[in-house]
Parts: sequence; structure tokens; C-alpha cells
Amino acid sequence: MLPKRFDQARPFLTLALVVLAWLVLPVVVKTFARASFFELQAPLGVAASYARDLKEYWTLRLHSNSELIEAGRDLARLNASFEESVSQNLSLQAEIARLEELLRLPAYANYRSEHARVVRRDFSGWWQRLVIRKGKNYGIPAGAPVIFSGGVVGRVTEVHAYTSVVEMVSNPGVRLAAFVEGETQPISFQGGVNSTFEVPKGVVEFVPLNVFANASNPKRLVTSGLGGVFPPGLSLGTVTKVEPSTDGLFKTGEVQLDPRLSSLVEVTVLVPLNPE
Amino acid sequence: MASSDTNLADRSGSLVESHKSYQPRVIFFYFVIFALLATLAGGLAYQQLFNGARHRDSERVQNQRRILVPGPRGNIFDRDGRLLVGNRPRFAVVLYLDELKAEFISEARVIRRNYAEAGDKDLPTRDQFNQIARASVVQKYLGQVNQILGRDATVDRADLRKHFARQLLLPYTLIDDLDPSDYAKLLERLPVRSPLQLYASSTRFYPYGSALAHTLGYVGVESDIDAEDFPGEDLKTFKMKGTIGRDGLEKTFDGKLQGEAGGTIFRVSPAGYKINPPLEKRLPVQGRNLVTSIDIDLQRATEDAITKIAGDDMIGSAIALDVKTGEVLVMASKPDYDLTRFTPRPNHDTIADIEARQAWANRPVSSAYPPGSTFKILTSIAAMRSGAINPDEPIVDCEGTLRKFNRSFVCYNGKGHHGEVLLAEAIADSCDIYFYEAGWRASPAVLANEARRFHLDRRTGIELPNETHRMVIPDDAYKQKVRGEKWYPGDTANMAIGQGDVLVTPLEMACFAASVARNEVYTTPTLLHRADAPAQHSDPIGLTAHQRAALLDGMEGCVTHGTAAKTLALPDYQIPGVRFGGKTGTAQVPGKKNVAWFITFAPLENPEIAVAVAIEGDTPNEEYGGGRYAAPIAATILRKYFEKKNHPPAFVAPVKPS
Repeated sequence: MLPKRFDQARPFLTLALVVLAWLVLPVVVKTFARASFFELQAPLGVAASYARDLKEYWTLRLHSNSELIEAGRDLARLNASFEESVSQNLSLQAEIARLEELLRLPAYANYRSEHARVVRRDFSGWWQRLVIRKGKNYGIPAGAPVIFSGGVVGRVTEVHAYTSVVEMVSNPGVRLAAFVEGETQPISFQGGVNSTFEVPKGVVEFVPLNVFANASNPKRLVTSGLGGVFPPGLSLGTVTKVEPSTDGLFKTGEVQLDPRLSSLVEVTVLVPLNPE
Repeated sequence: MASSDTNLADRSGSLVESHKSYQPRVIFFYFVIFALLATLAGGLAYQQLFNGARHRDSERVQNQRRILVPGPRGNIFDRDGRLLVGNRPRFAVVLYLDELKAEFISEARVIRRNYAEAGDKDLPTRDQFNQIARASVVQKYLGQVNQILGRDATVDRADLRKHFARQLLLPYTLIDDLDPSDYAKLLERLPVRSPLQLYASSTRFYPYGSALAHTLGYVGVESDIDAEDFPGEDLKTFKMKGTIGRDGLEKTFDGKLQGEAGGTIFRVSPAGYKINPPLEKRLPVQGRNLVTSIDIDLQRATEDAITKIAGDDMIGSAIALDVKTGEVLVMASKPDYDLTRFTPRPNHDTIADIEARQAWANRPVSSAYPPGSTFKILTSIAAMRSGAINPDEPIVDCEGTLRKFNRSFVCYNGKGHHGEVLLAEAIADSCDIYFYEAGWRASPAVLANEARRFHLDRRTGIELPNETHRMVIPDDAYKQKVRGEKWYPGDTANMAIGQGDVLVTPLEMACFAASVARNEVYTTPTLLHRADAPAQHSDPIGLTAHQRAALLDGMEGCVTHGTAAKTLALPDYQIPGVRFGGKTGTAQVPGKKNVAWFITFAPLENPEIAVAVAIEGDTPNEEYGGGRYAAPIAATILRKYFEKKNHPPAFVAPVKPS
């Protein structure tokens, strides 16, 4: 029998041995273990996501007939307005195509849209990312831009068999080239350090000195398209503050991102048709 | 067994006993040991108590490194707040070598193993292995950049070796001066946390290209930047390259424009790699701005006019002054050079081209010419003040030549003869014989003293480097000293018409014109603008109202029916509603190119702007008239000035000088 003192230290010893074993394991084994763990975990997340959908379905089933009739009417109205919007969009698209032809602008058709449900949101002070319900099975590549109705969501950083991880624009690890609307000089946009329940923010750097913006006169920030990842003109947020840096070369500023980023349920992955 | 135990016990007891006994030899060693310990303790105490500060400093100097980053230079604006010189961001992709220590070691190990596996007997040294490994790692990162930008740049091994040895803590530049598209690609595709980073520095930006090039000046690279009040002067310091003014306002006001350097102090590992976070950090601060008195609209109009009227690459100057304040509105010097070719630094072709065109010199302040007939204004003033002439008295009858002092004096400006002219007509038609006579009557000493009273014999003191001191107002003492000859009446005649040894700069003549316009004796020019600049005042010239009226009549006559009238009658040079006066000059420099002069001010009744133009001819001894070549340039300046005054451009927010 082991002495009592050693017996008490056994959990720590075990932990130390496990950590040591992990450290000495070959990189290939570790990478495989990590990937396997994610793939093993992924069906649980996807199943939970389906379960949520089912829960929502049964929640709807519990509504009374009159409520459903009312909802049906609302939906019909909404459909009618959407149909009208669609027809307007078609005429606008035709007009855009005509203008593009006239100005000899390249057509904006380099991406295929892949809509995906959000499985899980990690929205903490450390990182902001989404797991979406499509992965290699839908041909989603790493690095693909992800958008929603309010603009840019982020970019795909990991692709798994049935899921993908999207790093959101509110994450400090995401950086892209942007234009302040109306300007032509690309500036750097980077996600900020965001608290869990706050409206997400980002920061802009290398802003030219002739750009002015404040809370009462915000400026829209859009993707530049110059970086080759995001197509041009997608909304990133609004620049609500710019201040000159002490070196007098640039300004730095704050960007208010779309508050809906923290409650997304559906996103669109833009899959490049001709990846470099 | 029992007996042996007993024996052992006895024996051990005796041994113990023996140690207890008195042993003098051991006592001796006690002293020795005590002395040694005391020495060590004393030494320790000495080092800790007395040399502690020195060791702390040594440790600090050994373990800490300081990085200095220059602050951007201040901007230069024109009088309306338009940017003349600013800073343009300059992006580079850099690699922080000090973050790659582990990769260098690992790569060196791999390379060494490869050599061993290949059985190569001619193995590199350890240092060479390290250098190969560093180059290989840096090339790997450069490969990432190449892939993003579609380039095929390679690492310059010698440059990398030098950087690693001398500037390890500074980022190593892989590709410099990225265009916006490349910058955007790298911004988007490089990981945020990577040893590869985009680095922004500043370089001078010249929105108007070659306009005002000589006055603005240019900057050169300065390796020895200094950060005042930033600690760690004794530490090993790495300095990013800064700039220093090499010419023009950039040089004169270098101290003001120079930014305040920022700095960082890091602790470093024994191998010299940086340990984050920094112990001390200060951001660089931009230098103070400079608001000049220049009006860039007028400046550009002037430079265009010189090129249009005189021709490409002609040597010439044009200066316009605010009569009341002495502020310089225009300072054009041709030929010039394109300042944008000086960023980040001029190449050999640029330098060779500037030298071939003799474009380095800032002519308004560095070239001294005989003023020619423009000097007749001074002769008139001197002669009238001394009572030698009366403006209403015809002192000579000009018949084209005058026989006096046993020689003939020619009137170079009369196609026929001027006859008996009064002062005003003599000025308007630039009658040489009238001024020979006026000079003789006044005497050379009076002419020289008058010129000195107008400060034509000294530098103006304008805020520019390289103002020449070769201006000459000759007199008999000067001639005796320089040539060893005595003064003849012919010298007086030459001096009276601004020929001979008289030498002045175009800027001096502009100041002279401004002084005459104000009816005072000198003007101090300045290139700095102050919205509340006080009017300048010096001693009054001392002419009677009648004498001044005659002088101004003559100057107005010059542009209405005199030597400048023919050219200024052209529609391009008409200035509606403005009366102005001027004086042409054609300085003949024997064996050299002639110089066309024109000085003027306007409006005649209440002068606001004074102008001097001097254009060198391109063929030696060829007639190069001020009325034909210089007067239209001056008229263009005046016309632009009054156009702008009557139709001011859209409001430009004035820049508050910092």
C-alpha cells in the first residue's frame, strides 16, 4: 500500500503524467487527436441544432388555428411584398448590368452562394466565432467570406466534414482592407476586443487624415475588394469615431458593427468559383 | 562477534575523544578559513555596497536595448492653408527577426542534419550554418508574401547578414513602398499574429511637384536621430532612419519641422532577442507646421508664364512681395526640379539631369546680375535727393550719342534720339544719356550711398540658405581694391544705368521695388505668413511730392507708352482697372548672356504688390530685352493677383500654425 502522503498527491501526479505524455506525443498524433475530437463532437452540435429546429416546429404546432391563420395571412402579405421586391430587384439588376456593360465594369459573379444554418455561437471576450452546418460536404473552402443581410459576418477558418468554423469580423484575429464610403484609399479594419453582451465593435487604422467621422456623422465602412478575399462594397459597419494618431500620419478609429452579429441563425458563404 | 563490537565501540570512542583534544594545527586552519571567508565577505560587501550601482548599470546596459523611431516632419502650407509639403504614408512588409529565434535554431538543425546525411565532408562552420538557416527562414516568409502578391522576390543574403548583426531589434524590410493594392492584399491575407507585418513610415509628399521647388527645398536621410528626454542614452540604441532638411525652408526650419522621435526600451535575451513587453515606450510626435507667405496660385501662374514666355529650361527668377508686410508671395526660380523625384531619395539619373540643366541654384537669392536700366530708378532718386537734377529740367539733348570726357557715350535704348527729355520721359523711354548726365551731376559717391541706403549692398536676410553675398555697389575704393584702377567718369556712367560692376540679386530688386512703392528705403522680405503681420516701416526716401510724382509718372509711362508698352499692350497682359508702373532693364554682361529685367508695383496709387523679374538670355551678347521677356511675366503675376483679389476662390480653411 502506498504511503498516505503519496496517495493524496496521486491526482496531481496523474495530471502531470498526462500533460507530459501530451507534450512528448508526435505532432501528427496531436493534430489527429484534435481533428478527431472535433469531428466526434460535431454530430452532437449538429444534432442539437436539428433538435432546436424540431423544438421550434413543435412550438409552432402548438399555436391555435386562428393564430396560424393570422400568421398565414401575415406570411402571404410578406410574400407579396417580397415578390414585389424580387421584381424590383430584377429590374435593378438589369439596370446594374446595363450600367456595368456601359462602364465596362467586371460582372460581380465570381462567387457561388451557399446558405448555412448556424450550429453554435462562441461569443466571448476572447473570440467570436460561429460553427455552421455545412462543411466539406458542400465544398466550402477555408478562407471563404461569409455574409448575411447586414453585410460581412467573417471568414471560414476551419472546414470539417459537415461543419465549418467562421471567425467573425468582431474577432481581433480578423483583419481586412476596407474603404470609408466615398474614399479610395484602403484602410485596415480589425475586430475589436468585445465583451459578451455588448454591441460588437472593431477598429480602423491607417485612416487618411482627411477622413472625418463621429457619432453624429458616422461614415459607412465597406469592403475594398482589393485584398482578394472579400468582394467589394459589402458593409462592415459604421465608423463612429476617428482620432489623429500622435505621429500625425494617420487617424485611428472605432467601428460600430451590426448588433445582429451576436444573434445570427443563418449565413451565406461565398464560395469562390475560381480560387487562386 | 560481541567482542568485535566492543572493540569497535572502544575504538570509535577513542576517535571521538581524539577530536575533542586540543589541536593547534586545526586552529591555524580556522584562522585561514576565517581570513578567506572574511575576504570573500569583504569582497562581496564591497561589490554590493560600493559597486552595486555600477553593476546595476552594467547589467542594464548589457540586457536592455533602445529603439528610436523618428517623428514625421511638420507640414508646410501656403498663406491660404493649402498643403505645399506634407507626409505620405509609405507601406512596407517587414519581418520581425527577433521573433524567429526558435525557427532559426530548428532550421539550422535541419540543415546540419541534411549535410550529415549527404555525407558532405566540406561542412560549413557553425556561423555559416546559422546564416544559411536565417536566409532560408526569411526566404520562406518572403515566399508567403510572393505568393500573395504574385512576385518572385528573393532575400539579399548580405543585407540580411548585416541587418541581423547590427539591427536585430529593428524590423527587416522585405518589400518596400507597396502600392495600395498590394498593401490591401497583404492586410487581408497575412495572419494578424505573424512575424510578417505591414509597417508604415512617412515620406515627404509634394502635391505641386516642381512648383516652388527651390524655396521649399528637400530632405535627405538622417541616420543619427535623437530623442530628447527619452531615457537610456547609455544603452545600445537602434535607430530607424529619419530625415533632415537639405535645402530651402526644409533646411532653414529643420528644427521646427523635425518631429519628436519616439522610442522603446526592451529587455533582450543573451542572444540579443527582444523580450516583450517593452520596459519603456514613447510614441513619435509630428513636427510643427510651417505657414509660408507664398500664394501657390500666383506661384504656379508665374512659373507657367516663365516657361511660356521665356521658354523651357531658361534661367530666370520672378519674385512678388506684399508691399506692406514684405511677405514673399512668389519666388520662382527656373530651371527647377521635380520634388516628387526626391521621395524616398533621388536616383543618379535625377541628380545628373538637375546638374545638366543647372537647376540646383535658387536664382532669386543666389544669382547676382547687373540690374541694367532698372537701376535708373535709384539713379533718379539719388540725383533728385542730392539736388543734382530737377524733374522739370531737361538736363541733356539726347541725339543717340554724347561726346564728353574725350569719349562717346551711346544711348542704347533710342532707335533715333530722345531729344530734350524730362525725368519722367527719360524713365519711360529709358534714355541712357539722360542718366549718364544725372549720374555725373550727382557723383558716384552719392549713387553708391543711395544704393546702400536701400540695402542693395547686403543680403536681405530671407529665411533661405545659400543667399549670395556677391552683390556689389562699386565706388572708387572698391575699384582700387579689386582692380587696382582709379574711378573714371565712364564708371559713373555705367553705374548710373546699372551696368559695370553693379551686381544685385533679383530678390534685392523686388525689395527695392517694394521700398519705392512704400516710399521708404528698405524692405525686409520674409517667407513666413502671419495673418496679423504688421506693416513694415523704414526711413522715408525723402523725395518731395513733386519729385515722387515725376518718378511714378515715368514708371507708369514705361508700361503705357515706354519700353514695356508694346508687349504689355497685348490682350493677355492687360490688367483692367489697375494702374501700375514699372521699369525695364536689359543688363549686358560682356561675353556672357544678357539679362532681361523688369521691376514693377501696383496699384500705383496705393501699392499692394511689388514684382521683380530677371530672365537670362540663352545666347551670349544677344539682345534680350526686359520689355519683351521680363515685363509680360510680371504682368501675368499682377493680372493673376488682381483676378484672385477680385474673385477670391472658394474658402480654404486656414491652418493654425502649431
